[in-house]
Amino acid sequence: MDFAVFFQLFLPGLTTGCVYALVALGFVLTANVSGVVNFAQGEFVMLGGVVAAALVAGGMPMLPAIVIATIVGAIVAATQERLTLAPVRDTPHFIRITITLGVAVVLRGIALILFGKDPLFLPGFTGEGTISLFGAVLPIQSLWVWAATAALLAATFWFLKFTDVGRAVRACSINLRAARLMGIDAERLTLLVFSLAGAAGALAGVVITPIVLATWDAGVSYGLKGFIGAILGGMRNPVIAVLGGLGIGVVESLAAGYVSSGYKDAIVYGVLIAYLLVRGGVFLFGRAALVGNAGE
Amino acid sequence: MTDRSRLKRTLALAAFAIPVIIYPLVYSGSYPVGVGIIAGAMAAGTVGFVLLIGYAHQLAFGQAGFLMVGGYVNAILSTHYHIDPFVALLAGVVLSMAIAWVIGWPIMKLRGFVLAMASLAMQFIFIVLAVESDFAGGALGTQGVPKFSIFGISFANDTAFYYAVWAIAFVCVAIGLNIDRSRIGRALKAIAASEMAAGSVGIDAIKYKVQMFVVSAGMASAAGSLGAHYLRAMDPNVYGFAYSLNLLTGVIIGGLTSVWGGALGATVITGLRELLRSLALPLWESVIMGALTVIVLIAFPAGLAGALSALFDRVVGRGGRAGTISLAPDSTALAPAQNPPPADGVLLDVRGASRAFGSLRAVADVSFTVATGSITALIGPNGAGKTTLFNLIGGYQPLDAGSVLFRGEPIETLLPDEIAVGGIGRTFQNLQLFDNMTVLENVMCGRHRLMTAGLPSISARLPKVPREEAEAQRAAHAALAFVGLRGAEDVRPSVLPFGHQRLVEVARALALEPTLLLMDEPASGLNDTETERLAELILRICALGITILLVEHDMRLVMGLADSVVVMHHGIKIADGPTDQVRADPQVIAAYLGHDPHTEAHERVAGA
Repeated sequence: MDFAVFFQLFLPGLTTGCVYALVALGFVLTANVSGVVNFAQGEFVMLGGVVAAALVAGGMPMLPAIVIATIVGAIVAATQERLTLAPVRDTPHFIRITITLGVAVVLRGIALILFGKDPLFLPGFTGEGTISLFGAVLPIQSLWVWAATAALLAATFWFLKFTDVGRAVRACSINLRAARLMGIDAERLTLLVFSLAGAAGALAGVVITPIVLATWDAGVSYGLKGFIGAILGGMRNPVIAVLGGLGIGVVESLAAGYVSSGYKDAIVYGVLIAYLLVRGGVFLFGRAALVGNAGE
Repeated sequence: MTDRSRLKRTLALAAFAIPVIIYPLVYSGSYPVGVGIIAGAMAAGTVGFVLLIGYAHQLAFGQAGFLMVGGYVNAILSTHYHIDPFVALLAGVVLSMAIAWVIGWPIMKLRGFVLAMASLAMQFIFIVLAVESDFAGGALGTQGVPKFSIFGISFANDTAFYYAVWAIAFVCVAIGLNIDRSRIGRALKAIAASEMAAGSVGIDAIKYKVQMFVVSAGMASAAGSLGAHYLRAMDPNVYGFAYSLNLLTGVIIGGLTSVWGGALGATVITGLRELLRSLALPLWESVIMGALTVIVLIAFPAGLAGALSALFDRVVGRGGRAGTISLAPDSTALAPAQNPPPADGVLLDVRGASRAFGSLRAVADVSFTVATGSITALIGPNGAGKTTLFNLIGGYQPLDAGSVLFRGEPIETLLPDEIAVGGIGRTFQNLQLFDNMTVLENVMCGRHRLMTAGLPSISARLPKVPREEAEAQRAAHAALAFVGLRGAEDVRPSVLPFGHQRLVEVARALALEPTLLLMDEPASGLNDTETERLAELILRICALGITILLVEHDMRLVMGLADSVVVMHHGIKIADGPTDQVRADPQVIAAYLGHDPHTEAHERVAGA
């Protein structure tokens, strides 16, 4: 096995995996406080990318463009929660989830109208140079992606572990109803977590754009792959969700390199379906597999 | 009621069929007829989708994947192998249904809307396979698909094809309507309202969710086939993510709670897309479709079909108003149990049942038996573990240890619906009625296990289906008469007073002709008169040969009714035996009253 080739696939996979990991984390946290899987999660990544790229292309310096794109992500997510989810808190879940998909479609459409069909370019934060790592050649921007992801994850876990609000979020993830009965203001918490998830998604979109470009329709694929990570964590465990997201990035990249780039999506999605089939007990005959879940 | 719903059905058919028939006569150009064909194909694809989403509450975001399967199977078979296009259509339908069955069965067992994403992933896999495989023609797709024909009868003329497409769409609608008004339709509504209660009448939720996924896949596949014949080509972009979204938006606008809603939505969406195209606003399609989805779901969740149905109600009168409710019970309405288990035997045998939640031992090593034909009461202070024990017996929670034998057979590994099918009915402490159905339909749900019509015969509405329905209706009326609630058959349960709702639940449990009836605090929330009536009802149920196990707080009720009593305290059984003997047990008195025997509450326990 050629290790240089391996790392040339593995490390870029880790880089895109960072984005999937942040999306997965967003899925888990928003689902736990609101009870809704927010299918617009991937669109925040797309928004961050296209907004930052458009601003920089318009002549704005890098740093304010990054900040604005991140804030746009937060505001869009907060607006989504206020306008489309808060008013229908009591409707059945499948309707609320479909509403989030509708919002995702609107966001895609607006991006298409505002920014056009062509991919948008954003220069690297510190130039277009490359570095060499374990025999693999990577854009310097990869370091920014890793650093930003590490910082966001560290901040998130610190928030969850050591702040009162973070503890409230965790309480919601264990038992939403009990948390509300204990006086946790789930309304405010939901708004906060949506804003944070929107900001984190948008920031992820900004840092990855110098490597992959930004397009209006990239959100679905970020969303789906992040969702795979979240599902691996059972939509509950943020650590496994993050690891799952990273893993999906790596699997995708290895599949593209070793098998075929055309088939990489099919392989990643095939992994998802295979995993679900196994978890659903396709190999257990009869309905014995269900008994363990019956009490949930 | 039946006249009213028949009128509604006829009106809906006429309102839809007449414009569809007239349309190509008025607009005979090739463009408008083409739009009509596209709408008709989509309409066929939406019927199953409505059943899946609106009835079974299962989301699938990649439904266009099945249109791809249908389109490609048909294009390849009819172009390269010169197979009759209609036969190819059927082949695509079978393949799509097989795929849906294979992935639907395990995925439906997982909670949390996993199907939504899994189906999207499936669609993307299909797209990749289509692009990458030479067999399907790669990115260019399969060209030169022949015109549609059915067993050699050609539909080369667009107008003829239009009618063929809509005929197939109407067949799909008819299948959907047949499912809607059958035991499967009721089962789906029951699952949507309360999966727990659906299980208690023997409805296997996963089976029907999977069935609707399979039906929706088959119909989507047929739609895809028809589309490929209209376009005369099939390529990977025809049924992409955008088509999945349009399908979803269509059924939402049309109305998720009506089979007609899908067909209506498909027509509206197709018209809307053409309008946007003619206004040269294709870029806006995504924003408008998404916004429509969001707005309709928030403001008008019943969609267009719901609005039309409301209009019908306003014009024809609502119907379904409660008549004069008669509370006179008719003890002769239900016949005694047909094959009662031998008397004086043990019907239910709980051995060492245990269940812990974390470190809390809610039920610890509890054993007792219920004698055939008896009324046995399970009592204990709050938090004694009674309801947990009930849930263990009913299959709602797994046992950590121990076993439960019903008629000598172990049932502790069975699920609630399997336990109900075995002949154990139950009522819930917090009422679990299906508020999306009438009182009569609620009770008819109780007949589920005794009806045999499956999906194929229901789809075709074979003669045995209406026969079985009529029999179920008769039995449901009888059960309502037995519990003493007549005149409320056509209303939603939630409009009834609480005490009457409880009777509906008892009637639903009786409709499944149980051998054993589990009643979880049947008197809670009832006033004195209602409690007396309930006691009398329980005795009459017992007289039918049905054994009863009840959890109860109301000591007067227990002491007056029960043949034997099991007392629990802190998760363990502290006493068990004939009622009189248990009443005098010092341990029981202590558990209920502390150690001072001279309180007023003491009188309540001992006094009866």
